[in-house]
Amino acid sequence: MTDEQAAKEMLDDIKKIIEPSKTDKTIMVELSKTFENAVFDVAVPSPNRAVARVDPGKVKPIMQFLLDNGFDHLSCISGVDYPPDRMDVVYHVTSYSGPLVITLKASIPRDDPNIDSICDIYWNANWYERETYELYGIKFNDCPYLKVLLLVEEMEGEWPLRKDYAGYPNPT
Amino acid sequence: MTHEATQITSPPKSSEILLHLGPQHPLQPGPFLLDLKIEGETIREAELKIGYIHKGMEKVFEDRTYIQILPLTDRICYLASNSNNDVYCRGIEELLGIEPTERAKYLRVLTNELCRIQSHLLGIGEYTTDVGFLTMFIYMVREREGVVSLLEAITGSRLNHNYARFGGVAHDLPPGYKEMALKTLGELKKLVKSHDEMLSSDSIYLRRTKGVGVLTTKVASELGVAGPPLRASGVNYDLRRIEPYLVYDELDFNVITQTDGDVFSRVKVRLLEILESIYIIEQCLDQMPSGPYKQDVMPYITRPKPGEVYSRIEDPRGEMGMYIISDGSDKPYRFRIRGPAFATAQALPPLLIGTYVADVAAIAASMDSCTSEVDR
Repeated sequence: MTDEQAAKEMLDDIKKIIEPSKTDKTIMVELSKTFENAVFDVAVPSPNRAVARVDPGKVKPIMQFLLDNGFDHLSCISGVDYPPDRMDVVYHVTSYSGPLVITLKASIPRDDPNIDSICDIYWNANWYERETYELYGIKFNDCPYLKVLLLVEEMEGEWPLRKDYAGYPNPT
Repeated sequence: MTHEATQITSPPKSSEILLHLGPQHPLQPGPFLLDLKIEGETIREAELKIGYIHKGMEKVFEDRTYIQILPLTDRICYLASNSNNDVYCRGIEELLGIEPTERAKYLRVLTNELCRIQSHLLGIGEYTTDVGFLTMFIYMVREREGVVSLLEAITGSRLNHNYARFGGVAHDLPPGYKEMALKTLGELKKLVKSHDEMLSSDSIYLRRTKGVGVLTTKVASELGVAGPPLRASGVNYDLRRIEPYLVYDELDFNVITQTDGDVFSRVKVRLLEILESIYIIEQCLDQMPSGPYKQDVMPYITRPKPGEVYSRIEDPRGEMGMYIISDGSDKPYRFRIRGPAFATAQALPPLLIGTYVADVAAIAASMDSCTSEVDR
């Protein structure tokens, strides 16, 4: 890293300290304003939690918006199976400077589950996406190295955490 | 940080060797495979393969009633079993809309901090063996015995405590506990300080650890590293402070941070956190109110109303989260475990690139990983 880059980085860090980013609930208002048709059912169930449903096609710009507004930490990505017709991908996003955890849910059709990968926005999304893929069969478009992580390779295609999974080897 | 850093992208050239480290190796308790592509002594690419002890816990939990899950949460990681009980119980309490009693809150904080001390002691011990400092391991295990006995006196078991309950805890303190605890912890404080002095002044140890495996503040937060490795890089992130649960807002403590982000500071953070935990325990023993330690009536079968909760805790290794969806029945509809060791393990391969083979043990062990929790 050159000295110039280092100086610029340091300046960015100082800026962050001087202007603390808004990591409180006002972000939810801004989020629904910015993405008027893509964010709905916003709720605040408890003081440090906020929940919203998002349009699966708009996940990437929404995540980019959250990252730019100080939500710099992705806690986890989970899949939830709701047979017979839908699956949810649930994102928990939070920040290193505040207690608010934003839960974003994107519903996708169960017969063709795929959603955009957010690996190039949050680096650590990689393993969470791989895990959700191997357990639910949800395809993350453009995820680098989308392959099994915890399971053995023979079990790729079994999708064991789906509700209708009947055991290995899968009789269906 | 690019994603290529987590994978071995091409077969080794004639000047390179592919080295399999694992799945069985003395580096850490628990099997994982670390593939290294090395050229001479330098690591060019690294890839971590996990899943050797995948237990399918998330699937298992969907088929158990809420009270049956409680002892199983211990088994996610035996060193953090008490915090796993606690985070699970707080999640269910939120779903049920109940609060633990005031005394139970203090008892949970007390056991959580004891749990943190014994986990850090064993973590440091294992790490020092990996850097060739076996004496320290013996010391740490000796010190840990006292702390584990303190936990045993409250919870009745030495490893998988199964102590927290919905709305309370399983047992009250035994008589004469305060004197016993203060005696053991007073000795421990002196010993930890002398160990800290020893580790900070041994020139061979310093050359082995200073400036090795450096994680800068920016990279550590970008990679999502959790717990002591994150704080050693200068990120002031501790859920006890950021989201004070139980009674942490009534207690006085410091969040330990270091700025170097190398192997040395990660161990330093753990040593100083032990002292801070002792201070918290002393306050707990002084301030603990009398009163009931559990709910008067708690039904055996729990049926929370439909809803969901994401509860988190600062466990010895960092942010442990549980995302529980209830559909109104006596079993959870979905149970997601977000472990800190999983998050930290993911950041290991990029950290190893460019370092020497001889430093792999030091760097990997300084992360204090727990394969059982990574695989779940």
